[in-house]
Amino acid sequence: MAARIDILSLSLRYSDTALPALDSVSLEIPQGGCVGIVGPTGSGKSTLLHTLSGILGKHHPEVVVSGQLCIGSDTFQGIPREVLFPTVGLVLQDPFIQISGVRDTVTEELRFTLENLDAAGQGSDQLIQTMLSSLGIEHLADRAPTTLSGGETQRVALASILISNPSVLLLDEPVTALDATAQNRLRSILKSLRGRTTVLLTDSQIDFPMSVCDTIVVLDRGRIEACAKPAELLLTGKLLTNVGGSEHWSSLVTPLNQPSSRRPGPLNRIRKALGLP
Amino acid sequence: MNFRIDLPTKLALVLLLWICAFAVSWEAQVVLVLLIIMSRFAVPDFKPQSRRSARAFTRFLIYSFAVATFVLILNSLLIRGGSTFGSIGGFSLYQDGLFFGIRTASRLLLLTFAILVFFISTPLKDLIRYLQARGLSNSFALILLLTLHFLDQLPARIHQIFLAQQARGAPVDAGFISRSRALFSILSPLVLSSIVESIDRGTALELRGFLHRPTSTEESQSSPGQRNVLTLLILFLSLIVVLYTIAQWLLG
Repeated sequence: MAARIDILSLSLRYSDTALPALDSVSLEIPQGGCVGIVGPTGSGKSTLLHTLSGILGKHHPEVVVSGQLCIGSDTFQGIPREVLFPTVGLVLQDPFIQISGVRDTVTEELRFTLENLDAAGQGSDQLIQTMLSSLGIEHLADRAPTTLSGGETQRVALASILISNPSVLLLDEPVTALDATAQNRLRSILKSLRGRTTVLLTDSQIDFPMSVCDTIVVLDRGRIEACAKPAELLLTGKLLTNVGGSEHWSSLVTPLNQPSSRRPGPLNRIRKALGLP
Repeated sequence: MNFRIDLPTKLALVLLLWICAFAVSWEAQVVLVLLIIMSRFAVPDFKPQSRRSARAFTRFLIYSFAVATFVLILNSLLIRGGSTFGSIGGFSLYQDGLFFGIRTASRLLLLTFAILVFFISTPLKDLIRYLQARGLSNSFALILLLTLHFLDQLPARIHQIFLAQQARGAPVDAGFISRSRALFSILSPLVLSSIVESIDRGTALELRGFLHRPTSTEESQSSPGQRNVLTLLILFLSLIVVLYTIAQWLLG
């Protein structure tokens, strides 16, 4: 079952003297929702995902944290200090890293996840076949995971996490190095997860998140600069923030009702703000 | 009671061969090395698990004999005792050095081939599962996995870095001295990239719940009556060899 995520004024820095990696981030992600986090390199996107998964808190106990985080029914003062798998599943940016390297076939690769959960008993074969079919990779069942293309490996890595039935799915820049066909396929997969799993994905380009997410969050230097539904972001320029429910204009987006001579295209404004060409 | 070559038997065999590498004469070591190489082809339980393992074995066979030849020549040149039996580039080769080189090379070959045949014929998941059932913690299993993966990927990684350095103008195709100098520019990215990848891979395995993996109870519940007699025999033989070697040493 999908879980709701509530982040309340979360700030994180790697040491007392370092600049904040996350700066008073507040965000509410509804159960079963799909949120895209966009921002330039170094804006804190991956830090946020790693924080939510628990891996950052576990490997960096020295981080200085304030704020609160709620994932489903679990509340954390600060950040979780243990990996939250299988409640939270994280697919890393490089899918080749996510392949275990100890299994000879894609089927066995998925079984590896089930073994870690002590769930590789009766019915696991059927579960694996269902997962492969749902992601359109049943033809790869007997292939060696190390011989797959980037898009195929991405889907196997996604399957290896989804098979654990996470309440929250985190995807770190999932479309890097994917061609248009593979992106379309991933888009379909994420749409099929709507309502069943809460999805949070990051990207340094806005195109993919705009086409698949309910809400776009713009992150820059650890701070949320904008938060809006894709249509509102483009058509009205009006932003809804989740910080105390207040509404305000953002300097990132110029409303469409301004004279066209003074109004650059909204996507161009966003691209400029993100430092994109 | 059963006689079969299972994982504990293979581990016992590796132990016996390693003991023999220090306990028996070089002639016996050479015979053991040849037996190991033959078993890779003749014994089904020692056959490579995959084509990649088979290729790795063949490559290793060539490299190890090249190294052994180098050891022989080096020792023959440097240890000057006994009569000379030849020369290389004006430098004489000595019999004492040759015999010392043979003893060293045979020991090295026996140690490495014992381990190599074990790993090419044993699926990694079976080894990890077996060790975890015997009490190896998930953390150590993770370290073992990452280490073996690093070794497995090392040739490909070196090749990649060679190509990258060549594109930057490093003299990777030049003479031996130039290539040796170029090696230093390869070591740093090789070590760093390997460390980074190992950390990332370890993180990825953690994110799939590997550290909370339950211990398999299948192997740990084997009753004494089902223990493999072959394993016990090999372990007994290892003990005999150790005691015999100690006795020989004590009695001079």
